[in-house]
Amino acid sequence: MATPHAGAGCVFEAIGLKKEYEDGQVKALRGVDFRIEQGEFVAIVGQSGSGKSTLLQMLGALDHPSAGTLRYRGTSLAERPDLAAYRAHEIGFIFQAFHLLPTFTALENVQIPMFETDRSASERKQRALELLQAVGLEGRQHHFPAKLSGGERQRVAIARSLANGAKVLLADEPTGNLDSENAGVILDLIVNLRREQNFTLVLVTHDMGIASKAARVIAMKDGRIVSDKLNAP
Amino acid sequence: MTFLTVVTRGLLRRPVRTGLTIVGISIGIAAVVALVGISRGFETSWQAGMKTRGTDIVVSSMGSALTPKPFSADAVERITPLPHVAETCALLVDLMSVEKAEMMIVSARQWGGFSWKNLKVVNGRLPNDAAEKAVVLGKTAADVLQKKVGDTLQLETGELAVVGIVDGGAVVENGSIILSLPLLQEITGNEGKINIIDLRVTAGTTKSEVTALCEKITSLVPEARAVVAGEHIRDSQAYKMISAMSWGTSLLAVLVGVLGVVNTMLMTVFERTQEICVLLAIGWRRSRIVRMILWESALLGFLGGLGGAIIGVGGVKLLVLTPAIRGLLEPDLNPQLLATAVAIAVVVGVFSGLYPAWRSSRLTPSHALHG
Repeated sequence: MATPHAGAGCVFEAIGLKKEYEDGQVKALRGVDFRIEQGEFVAIVGQSGSGKSTLLQMLGALDHPSAGTLRYRGTSLAERPDLAAYRAHEIGFIFQAFHLLPTFTALENVQIPMFETDRSASERKQRALELLQAVGLEGRQHHFPAKLSGGERQRVAIARSLANGAKVLLADEPTGNLDSENAGVILDLIVNLRREQNFTLVLVTHDMGIASKAARVIAMKDGRIVSDKLNAP
Repeated sequence: MTFLTVVTRGLLRRPVRTGLTIVGISIGIAAVVALVGISRGFETSWQAGMKTRGTDIVVSSMGSALTPKPFSADAVERITPLPHVAETCALLVDLMSVEKAEMMIVSARQWGGFSWKNLKVVNGRLPNDAAEKAVVLGKTAADVLQKKVGDTLQLETGELAVVGIVDGGAVVENGSIILSLPLLQEITGNEGKINIIDLRVTAGTTKSEVTALCEKITSLVPEARAVVAGEHIRDSQAYKMISAMSWGTSLLAVLVGVLGVVNTMLMTVFERTQEICVLLAIGWRRSRIVRMILWESALLGFLGGLGGAIIGVGGVKLLVLTPAIRGLLEPDLNPQLLATAVAIAVVVGVFSGLYPAWRSSRLTPSHALHG
């Protein structure tokens, strides 16, 4: 399906994107086409098995498509020589299960991605402190994940995802493990950070209430995009 | 936070398992330190004994036993007239079970030979002549045998008077029972036989002249071999066997350590699969993951090496206090051996981490989204 959302600052362009597993027995994506523009907030919705998380993996270069082309800012990801650098400097990931490293404090977890930069140890620490402050966790920086609430853990994960100045934030059910109160707080935090920093946000969810906060909603079913609509402002 | 912090946190994730792995490596390295230190100590102790006796060349026949094979005492007469030979002293040295001591050095020396001259009498006196049925004891030997001047010593069938306690200036000398040559020849049934000739060269003899003299003596006395003092132990088949066994046993112990590290690091990689995938997902390069695993295993090896060096040194120090070994040797626990042992442990660590690191490098970051 060709999307109507064309613009000068195209971040992602997918053409006939397919992903098959187990020698074609499982077809997770069955030919997906779309464009995502710079600064957009896109929610990808669909039921379990619809292919939305697979699509997020493709966008984050965590996996390769079986067929089709996925371009990031005009360059095919398949032709990029260093996908680790792409993941480190262009993309930030937020996971449903937070995936913080349990033996590191909040401050240290935020510093982990910065090992792929030229920042010195003191610069890494300073940057992490600023990010923790931005997500409202000042004073909790020396706590280990086990001593943090679910909401606090996801705040640390958000700070970590922005550590290297990501231009695109990919969020996989970021509020899926939180109660409704914390889910609202975290979603507002992500939305506000996007507004301040103007990064592109692609958020996967099965919750239409969360999707309603996005400017654009892509609905998926059985590995295909079944609708691609702009939400009313 | 530095990369080393990341590495140490990885190990602290399972402190008990990490600790047990370090203990495993430590035992292997302690075996290296102890066995190699003892076997080298055997060599250096005998070398020190030679040095205090002022011996330049040793003529002996080091076979597969720990002590040289006896040969005819006539050999001395063939050697004495040679140029550069200042003086000689014939000896018959044996390792014997004496009273309660399982193994003692019994050193019988040609009466009046220079090998008596380094002995400083601490208590009592030296024997009056070659025929006196008397011994002097090195001060450690006296302690081990619990003898004092005036006591008697049963040496196989011979009953000898302890007439003096001496300080020989070296562990081997102090651990010896020293008596005149004819007495031990008679007691052991080796009349007319010796197994060592200590030889001093004349002042100003050059190294090449010493080497030439050794060759000359060896040709004149084919039943023995002349070597520069100290080297005769290294030349011994028994010493070579002990040394090889030390390294062999050590390597087996180290192999156990290798398996321990491989197991630990593989478990680490399996347990931390998702964590590693998350690191890949947030931009860590595979090479950094590999480095992290290798540094973790190297750190395990280093800590195990340090622990092993400490345990090895402590164990050997305790061991040489036991009556069975006391006075026989002083272990050679030089810093080079300890550094080598720690280096072996680090190499073992890195080697053991190669396969787990390779496994970790094959993980795909998409696993991060699962679970």
